Amino acid sequence: MATTAKLQVENNNPVVAIQGLLRGLLENESIGGVLVPVHHFGKSMPMPTLVTDPDQLSGADPLAPAFPMNSAKLLSRLTRGQTGERIAAVLRPCEIRAFVELVKLNQGSLDDVVIVGVDCMGAYKNTDYRTFLAGRDPFEATLAFHGDHGGTDKPDAGGVELSAACKSCEHPSPANADLIVGLAGADLRDALPVLADSARGEALLNALGLPAMGENGRAKTLEALVKVRTEHRDAMIEATRAVTGTLTDLSEYLSACVNCYNCRVACPVCYCKECVFNTDVFEHKPWQYMGWAKRKGSLKMPTDTIFYHLTRMAHMSMACVGCGQCSNACPNDIPVMELFRTVAARTQESFGYVPGRSLDEPPPLSVFKEDEFQETVSHMA
Amino acid sequence: MSSEFEPTILAFVCNWCTYTAADLAGTSRMVQQPNLRLVRVMCTGMVDPKYIVKSLLSGADGVLVSGCHPGDCHYINGNYKARRRVKLLNEILPQFGIERERVKLTWVGASEGNEFAATVNGFINEIRELGPMEARSMAVV
Amino acid sequence: MANRIGVYICHCGSNIAGKVDCAGVARFASGIKDVAVARDYQFMCSDPGQEMIIRDIREHGLNRVVVASCSPRLHEKTFQKACARGGLNPYLMQHCCIREHCSWTTADPGEATAKARHIVEAAVDRVGHHGELFSREVDVLPDVMVVGAGIAGIQASLDIAKSGHQVHLVEKSPSIGGHMAQFDKTFPTLDCAACISTPKMVAVSQEPNIHLMTWSEVVDVSGFVGNYTVTVLRKPRYVNEDICTGCGACLEKCPTKTLSEFNEGLSERRAIYRNSPQAVPSTPVIDASVCKKITKDKCGICQKVCPTGAIDYTMRERREVYHVGSIVLATGYDAMDPTPLREYGFGRFPEVYTALQFERLNNAVGPTGGKIVMKNGEKPKSVGIIHCVGSRDRNYHEYCSRTCCMYALKFDHLIKDKVGHDTRVYNFYIDMRCFGKGYEEFFRRVQEEGVTFIRGRPAEVVEEDGKLVVVGEDTLLGMNVRVPVDMVILCTAMEPGRGATEVARVFGIAQGQDGFFLEEHPKLGPVSTATDGVFLAGTCQGPKDIPDAVAHASGGAAQAIALAARGKVSISPTTSWIDPDVCIGCKVCINLCPYSAIEFDERRNVSVINEAMCKGCGSCAGYCPSGAAQIKHFNQTQLFNEIDGMLGMMFEPPPPASDPQAADQPGEA
Repeated sequence: MATTAKLQVENNNPVVAIQGLLRGLLENESIGGVLVPVHHFGKSMPMPTLVTDPDQLSGADPLAPAFPMNSAKLLSRLTRGQTGERIAAVLRPCEIRAFVELVKLNQGSLDDVVIVGVDCMGAYKNTDYRTFLAGRDPFEATLAFHGDHGGTDKPDAGGVELSAACKSCEHPSPANADLIVGLAGADLRDALPVLADSARGEALLNALGLPAMGENGRAKTLEALVKVRTEHRDAMIEATRAVTGTLTDLSEYLSACVNCYNCRVACPVCYCKECVFNTDVFEHKPWQYMGWAKRKGSLKMPTDTIFYHLTRMAHMSMACVGCGQCSNACPNDIPVMELFRTVAARTQESFGYVPGRSLDEPPPLSVFKEDEFQETVSHMA
Repeated sequence: MSSEFEPTILAFVCNWCTYTAADLAGTSRMVQQPNLRLVRVMCTGMVDPKYIVKSLLSGADGVLVSGCHPGDCHYINGNYKARRRVKLLNEILPQFGIERERVKLTWVGASEGNEFAATVNGFINEIRELGPMEARSMAVV
Repeated sequence: MANRIGVYICHCGSNIAGKVDCAGVARFASGIKDVAVARDYQFMCSDPGQEMIIRDIREHGLNRVVVASCSPRLHEKTFQKACARGGLNPYLMQHCCIREHCSWTTADPGEATAKARHIVEAAVDRVGHHGELFSREVDVLPDVMVVGAGIAGIQASLDIAKSGHQVHLVEKSPSIGGHMAQFDKTFPTLDCAACISTPKMVAVSQEPNIHLMTWSEVVDVSGFVGNYTVTVLRKPRYVNEDICTGCGACLEKCPTKTLSEFNEGLSERRAIYRNSPQAVPSTPVIDASVCKKITKDKCGICQKVCPTGAIDYTMRERREVYHVGSIVLATGYDAMDPTPLREYGFGRFPEVYTALQFERLNNAVGPTGGKIVMKNGEKPKSVGIIHCVGSRDRNYHEYCSRTCCMYALKFDHLIKDKVGHDTRVYNFYIDMRCFGKGYEEFFRRVQEEGVTFIRGRPAEVVEEDGKLVVVGEDTLLGMNVRVPVDMVILCTAMEPGRGATEVARVFGIAQGQDGFFLEEHPKLGPVSTATDGVFLAGTCQGPKDIPDAVAHASGGAAQAIALAARGKVSISPTTSWIDPDVCIGCKVCINLCPYSAIEFDERRNVSVINEAMCKGCGSCAGYCPSGAAQIKHFNQTQLFNEIDGMLGMMFEPPPPASDPQAADQPGEA
């Protein structure tokens, strides 16, 4: 799986080059459709779109620094149960990792999907993306965002900063993809390396008949990127810990929460059909509210806010891929991602679990061993 | 901490081992402090982490989960599942100042009335030393 | 419609009322939301107590009941039945414990009363969310499987066969009889083991209702009470049982020898062998690990001498599947190997024997033809018997093996009887435990035969001038002793069978801390296990002598017969249930379920509980993040309300502790 093909860039436009790559895949008889972000209207957010007609790939913009939603859940819908046709999906690394987690939970399958990963330079929050566009043509804006060389974070491009999640993401390069578009370190006016990362990817790439391409400094660029982002992440975790170290601090941190549960709707690894906090188990009776209020003299409404977030940490923190869609979805701008990544850093480490790393690693709560975690058991007598 | 603080502790204990041990401790008249109250479950494997979190947020100063010794589980391996779930809470809750000591997992077998009484008294003393759970005085939970 | 809850606080004489102000708790309960009536009464479990509940259900229109008394492990069923008699679904009752967990363990009456209030409040809050549940009945298959054909398995099989039910009896050895077949005499009556067990063994082979499978092992069990599917591995015997007449010609001609397990290594047997001339079945077996024909394709003599052509070297193991309604486990014990107790010199000194070896020395068909002689062929002039080897010893087994005192006495008598009255016999014991019928009398008789008893666990056995010396302390005299003897017998502990852990895994039952199979209740459920339809017989449950093992086996058989005779079994309704509208089909619960009771419905893409196999452990519910999987009677709403009640969340904090005097004169609420 060492093949690296050369995707020629014409007219200094890597987006068109990637469109060409996708067209090539779509014209391959084995692939019926491509899931890729597409600009449908002149000046708005590119949305994940299932394209079956190669001619309609002209709106595809997988390099746009916009991330309206994590496509893992969409791909889950496209691959669950009987699929019929094989598709390709262009995904950010965090989307692939989330999808791998979903596959572990029977929420999708990698069998009939070709994952095309793209080195991720990050994206803006939804509201910031509009500011960033500033009325420009979205493709122009995308090209401006990336500049001439892939792989340098440009935090102040367009006067807005990349989302906090992206700035602290230590996974800019895709894992578990079939094909990787090696944006990092590439001269975007010249050519993009396309790497085959699986046997299936290898076969597809060979069928495209692209010329081979040598080393172009991708690894070094990625390394530098990871370093900066890891530092950012560590600082972010430290800062979050500093303001959430007690239950009172946590309540204050979450004080604007209105229990809308948008964070869990946006979360790619919150896979329940219906959140338990939306079920009748949490439909309390009027006299219950009164009882609780009387106990302490007052009761914040809606109730169960901290309970919800702590439970969600227990449910999904080990699968958290840090995509930041929770923060993106919060109507009251609570830095949800920061909180959950901070918790996840510890829970994932304690179980030695890296979400999205491998299909062979079962979710920690889905398995157990006889002889483990002895320190969790107390001996009081 | 104030010496007048008397903790309230909930214990989720499995029907077959620890609950039986509690019966035995009772039958043997082993005096225990009254601060701990038992919630009988069929197996520690059915203790949803939500029950533990709910208890701590609703006025409990500590939560004990206690089941059969490894290999003795009436349902073969429920206690191992409980161990992973408690382990997870032990990683999450301390990040918000809920001391690790407040959520405890023990194995107390059906014949271990002595151990049960000692566990109850030991845990109560430990939590009394630790002081009240922050959530007790919070209107916002 | 609001619930109408009746609350009943039991005094249990003075057991509860001596500490808890029962009337006060009842008064408190009457103030809890939805409580229609709250009473306290002397003995709720008595007929008048139960009648009180039934009357109130009718007169007050109760739709929920809470009883606060002793542990639900004692009387939950009692009060469930009372409710049922009153026309209320038994699962609309919550039984909570204010005795074992409150009055008996709390020092201060005020504190005990306060705790009782919390416990009652939790029960009241919980019961409001109970739902009606109905037990289901499933058919019980008529056949029974008995595993292990020692004396317990034999007894159980014969009992069951007598009732007209078919028994599939599986024995891992080539013949039946177990350890008892190795013994010579049995205590305290001294009747010969063969004389009493051989007829039973023959009865097994001739009983049409018993399908005997020797040289076979159970490798897989699936299903549930009334409906087990058992896979039996039939090991290749290399001798066709249907043709073999048991003439024994092959046994004499076989040139290959190896140590005899049945004779505890004291003699050799051939590669083709049977344990004894009385073996049932009499068909020999070929030991494939040493047989020259099978290992090297040389020899083949047995095939040549066999008059019926029963020898078949090409036999392969095969698996057979049986469908049975219940299973009786009689897998027995193993004697502990005393080699690790190096101080007693077993394996180093040839004249140190285990008790089982000595049984073989005694046995008329044993290695010495029943003569008690040393390896040099001479009679021992003195014998030391060390009790409790590996038993009552924290380093090995804490328990008492229950049989050693008695068989040591038997040995005492047999030595005196067979070797000669002048033979000195020394017992080194900790305590003499002679508790059975006729046992103490036997002890007295042996004492009168001139046997010496020295109280104290010996420190070591050493060799001096070609003689063994037992070194120890006589703790009654408070002096050290050094007793020279010709022969030493170690009364080794009875241990769980070597394969017990694997057996427990295959049958889905638990082992106690001692390794023996765990019974449902140490006193009141000694033959049942936590797995419905799997019963225990004999020493697999714990050390037993023959009468106890036989009685236990008959008990296990009776349980199996009862199940088969009724033909129906009621399945507890407190199983798991997965809400198909909420389940997203992640399948995690399927992997967590220890009973394979969850199936995946591919069409609806949801997990589904097989209620017949589900035991309600809640492994699924403890994981399910959406709460789709819930245990009936232990669901989230019930637990949350119980938690709230325990924490006194619903109502004003209870008033200050009442006057303990009041607790002494309980009255009606």
